[in-house]
Parts: sequence; C-alpha cells; structure tokens
Amino acid sequence: MNSLSSGLIVKLKEIVGENWVVQGEDLVAGYVLDETPPPIRPQPNLDVVVVKPNSSEEVSKVLKLANEYDTPVFPRGGGTGLVGGCIPTAPGIVLSLERMNRIVIDRDNLIAEAEAGATLRDLLNASDEAGLFFPPHPGDEGAQIGGLIACNAGGSRAIKTGVMRNYVRGLEVILPNGEILKLGGKLLKNNFGLDLMQLIIGSEGILAVITKAWIRLYPKFPATATLVIPFESRTVAVKAVPKILHAGILPLALEYVERIPIERSAERLGLKWPCKIGESFLIVILAEQSNEALYAQCERLLSLCEELNSLEPLLAESREEQENILKIRSEIYSSLKPDMVDILDATVPPASIGVFMDKVEEIAKRYNTYLPSYGHAADGNIHVHIMKEQGWSMEDYDRVRNEIYAAAVELGGTITGEHGIGYVRRKSVGKFLNPMYVRLMKEIKHIFDPKNILNPGKVLP
Amino acid sequence: MNNGLHMIVLIKQVPDIGKVKFNVEEGRIDRSSAPLETNPFDLNALETAIQLKEQIGGYVTVVSMGPPQADSSLRDALARGADRAILLTDKLFAGADTLATSYTLATAIRKIGSFNLIICGEKTVDGDTGQVGPEVAEHLNIPHVAYVCEIRSATLDKLLVVSDMGDKYLVEVKLPALITVTKDINTPRLPTLRNVLKAKKASIEVWNADSLAGYGELCRFGLQGSMTTVFKIVFPSEEGRKGLIFHGGDAVEKLVEVLRGRRFIG
Repeated sequence: MNSLSSGLIVKLKEIVGENWVVQGEDLVAGYVLDETPPPIRPQPNLDVVVVKPNSSEEVSKVLKLANEYDTPVFPRGGGTGLVGGCIPTAPGIVLSLERMNRIVIDRDNLIAEAEAGATLRDLLNASDEAGLFFPPHPGDEGAQIGGLIACNAGGSRAIKTGVMRNYVRGLEVILPNGEILKLGGKLLKNNFGLDLMQLIIGSEGILAVITKAWIRLYPKFPATATLVIPFESRTVAVKAVPKILHAGILPLALEYVERIPIERSAERLGLKWPCKIGESFLIVILAEQSNEALYAQCERLLSLCEELNSLEPLLAESREEQENILKIRSEIYSSLKPDMVDILDATVPPASIGVFMDKVEEIAKRYNTYLPSYGHAADGNIHVHIMKEQGWSMEDYDRVRNEIYAAAVELGGTITGEHGIGYVRRKSVGKFLNPMYVRLMKEIKHIFDPKNILNPGKVLP
Repeated sequence: MNNGLHMIVLIKQVPDIGKVKFNVEEGRIDRSSAPLETNPFDLNALETAIQLKEQIGGYVTVVSMGPPQADSSLRDALARGADRAILLTDKLFAGADTLATSYTLATAIRKIGSFNLIICGEKTVDGDTGQVGPEVAEHLNIPHVAYVCEIRSATLDKLLVVSDMGDKYLVEVKLPALITVTKDINTPRLPTLRNVLKAKKASIEVWNADSLAGYGELCRFGLQGSMTTVFKIVFPSEEGRKGLIFHGGDAVEKLVEVLRGRRFIG
C-alpha cells in the first residue's frame, strides 16, 4: 500500500470504478518506467496509485480531486519516451489513458478524432482502413496519441509533411483545476485568440492533460518505394543529404544509418540488412501520387547518386520489403540499448548536418569512444549515441554529451529536436536556454498550474 | 543462352495478402482491395535460381501466367537478375484450376525447349494449395522435390537438397527436375535501382493460347481444362482480446472454470 490518503483512494475509485485504480508496488511497476536508457533514468517513485479513467469527465474529476488533495499527477501514454518525461518522481497519481482509445475517422474533412490513449498503430490502421494515410512515423507504434502530442514527436517521416505539431488541428485538454477546454477543432485555419493549442503541443504534460485530438490525415500516396543508398563513409553519406533536397527530391523520409548498428538491429529481428556493400547508408522513402512520378524521382536520384559518389543503390517496392527496411531502422535503438548510456537528439539546420557529424567524429576520436549515429538526416536530426565505456564515470559521459550539445548550438541548433526535456535534460536547460525564455516558461506553468500538481519535476529547471 | 544451368522460374502475381479484404458473406477474396505483388515464395524461387547462376553459371527464364498487368512482376524478376521473361496471357487461360494451370505452364515450358531445372515457390499465398509445382513436373514427366529449404550442392547433372516435410529429408535428384522452395531457403535480394529502371524498359515476351498450339491441347487450358471448382471459401471468424476481472473469494474458482470451459487447462 502507499502513503496516499485512503480518502483520496476511495474517491478515485468512485470516479473511475474500483477495477481501474491500481495499487501495490508489483502492480504499479509496469506503469512507472519508459524507454529512457537505464544509466540516466530517474529512480521511479513506487509510492503511486495508477488511475485509468474512461472519459474526459472522469479525467476532469480526477484532476479536481488531485487539486483538492494537493497530489501530483503524472500523465502517461505508451511509455515510449526517452527522457523520463512520464516517470513518477514523487508519490502521487499515475494517470494512464489507455482505456480512452477510440478513433473516429471523418473522411470528408480528412480528420481523425482520436482519444489520447489510442496508439500510433491504432491511428495508422484506422486511417488505412478508411482509405487515408497518416504520413509521419513519430516513433514506436505503441506510443499513444496523447504522448505523441504532449512530446511533439518527430520521427522518421517528418521531412515531407512535418512533425506531430503540423498534424494537430484541435485538442481537448483538461486543465490542472479540472476544467475541460477545447482548443481548435476540425479547422485548417483558426485565428481566434492566442494559439494555446500550440502551447500545449510539446508541453510534456506540465500544463494540461490531453484527452482528445483532431488530427489531419492525407489521401494515400498510391506509389511508394524505399531506396537504400550505400556510401563508403559517414562524411560522404551525410554530405549527400542537402544535395538530394536541392535537386528537388522531397521524400517522405530520408534516414541515415551505419552498418554495425543496422546489422545488429536486423539480426535481433531475425532479418537481413539487404545491402552488402558500403559502411554508411541513406534510406530514402519516396511517396508519390503515381508510378510515373515515382519513377521520375528514381531516375533523378540515380543520376544524382553518381555525382554524390554513392555505391550502387537498391530499391524495395513490395510492402513487405519496404516494411522490413523501416522495421530494421526503427529497432536500432532497442538493439543498442543494453550498451548505451544516452541517445541524443541534438538537431542542427539541415544544411549543417555534415559539419555537425564531422564535429561528432572529432569528439569521438578525442575521447577515444565509439558514437554510433543514425537518424533523420534531412531534418538535421541525427541521433548520436553515447555508449558504455569501461572505467568511465557519469562525469565523463556528461563531458562528451555537453561537447556534442555545444557543437549543435554553435551551428544554430538545439539540444533536443524531438525527445524533449523530460527529466533527464533539465540540467541542460539553464546552460543552453536563454534565462528570459526559462522565466517565461515558469510563469506560464504557474498560470496553468499554480499548485504545481501536473507532472512536477519535469521540463523546468 | 550461355553455358551452365538453364533454369525456369514459375512466378505468379497475387494480391498483397496482408492487405487483401475477404468477402465473408460471398466467400471470396476481393482481389481489387489490395495492391498486386509477386507471390513472396516465388521471390525465394527466383533468388535460388540467381544464386545457382552465380555459383555455377547459367540462364534464368521466368514464366508467369496471368492477366496483362502480371507484366510488372516479370519486370521485377528481370530487375532481380532473371535473363528472360515470358507472360502467358489469354482469355482462354482464365478460370484455371491447379490442373489446368500446371498443364498450361508445362506446355509453355515444352515450347521453351531444353532446361535443366524448374524452380517454384512452395505455394501461392492466395491459392495456398502447393499443387502447381509438382503437377508441372508430372506433366513433363520429370522428378520433383517439394519444400526444399536448402541446396547442399549443385552440378549440371544433379542437386543435393534438403526437403522440409515436417521432418527433414536429404534428397539427391537428377536433372532435369523441378523443385519447390520454402521461405527458409534464402532471403531474396533487393534489386538495384539501376536494374529496376532498366527492367521498366525491357521487352517481355507475351504468349497467347494460339502460340502454344502444337505443344499441348488447347481444350486443356483454363476453365475448360479444369476438373475442380471452388464453390465456397469459409473464413474462420476472428475473436479479439477480451479482459475479464474476477472479484471476491471465489475468483480463482471462477477463473479455473472459464479456463476449463475454453479447454486451456484440463
């Protein structure tokens, strides 16, 4: 049992029903972690109760109650975050919206009305069944809509049509005092007042709880293909990226991967990485309205590859072969995780990605460490991984991390392009963010949540 | 044609079975509901041929019977390394069961002439019978080995293969012969972008029923030559996950009762 007042527990059970209030360390243990690498992950507080509401009204009542009892609330999605954003770091309520997973597709308006607990996989499937398409692939398909929006997830298919923020048209949120607020809707244009919806997107659960979203869908791209372009080195591969974009080729995704991590990921999945030559690769996913347009892009890419000094590119057209490449790419993180200290998502202006990766290589040499890197090359967002090294202390890892951050910031970049601040990046906020920016964030937090009950200990230093 | 093994790979264009919708009421597959692709097992068959060609030299002809759009699967095969592609297409071929299909394919192979080895996928994902390959071998009166998951050795005269029939059998087969291969035999390679674009412009030979006259009997093609008809397809209904919560002192008994009722425990 936990230290929360028994009166609070009784009332929570009255709101959501007895079956949906989970207590006891064994039972809550599955609700207190996320995918943050263990060496930097905060210790979760197991003195929590997990509450699973089934409607916005129930969420509202839970928050009113939490306010009344001054009890912290930690909203939780699919637990796929990488910076400890949903980990409860104090006694309180873990709010899991997993039961709120309904999705209604409005084909006429090209909008999905999705509850926060629906997963990315649910959204992709529901869109597909309605003959529509949700273009981005913002991370693990077990991630939930609420979390994807709260963290403004990016992922591998942002280049053509954008990150999560670019798809959200409306939100229903519950403020920390329990008030239900609807922001935007099925609208493409809306200039009525300050855009609070955009403020909530990416706020990492510190301002309000997202319960429902209106998400823009696209007609399907009937012609798709995935290319794997091999290169002899990281430098040549990364420097090819801006040139591909300059040539007027706008793929759905343009990812950078390296042989050792990608083969490790493939092996873990029981698959084979299809390219036998090269050390570094660009994965280019093309999505067009017709086969003619698709092959025209392919022709241009082939002639460009010769200029870019690539090795012979491969092309996957069948669904299974394309999905396997994406699957291998998506699982690199899981395959590296056991030996990893941190996954960084420092992001630079896209054209600077080559210079940035040169600096990363220079840092790796100077510290005599291996920094495997892969990611969203065309977004200027390559994930550099800090790996475990024998005899290193946390301070040693911090030094490498800070050098990489400094290199990104010096190039006009940011320390986090998509994972957010959560818990683990808070210590870098004061160092890399303007003090006035931090002050405004704190004041905004106070306006929304004067009692600081919503996801306390996160984002703000 | 150069020296080495002359291999013929039989391929079929099928709807993407992961996407296709089933019309449960009418008991049929709605083929228009999903994009078309090469039967996945046939890609393993093609890869087997390409690997043999790389090892001991040879020439690979792909043959497909189907509507004109099956042409795209043949182009894909050319991009992956096949040397020649033949499409058998004619209204007379339509409505064929496995017997008529295998007869038509065997007739086309007779027209092609000499060969050492015919390679097929173990089955197609839309028909799922696994009959066509072995039937082709019977029509041509050559030996066959089905469900080959490994080729231990290959020469111009014979193959030593492992056939996975539940248990594994090591089989030596004299050529000419036919084998059908499982997914375990290899991982099909991806074609190069250059070869895909080249294959788009390649010429595909198109053979109709008349062009096979003299190599077989036209009355054994298509619906007319079919001895079987599919009168109904039954789909097992899918049951989603269900959660049950038991309360109180007799919760364990109730749970045991449910599990027994469903025969999960004895």
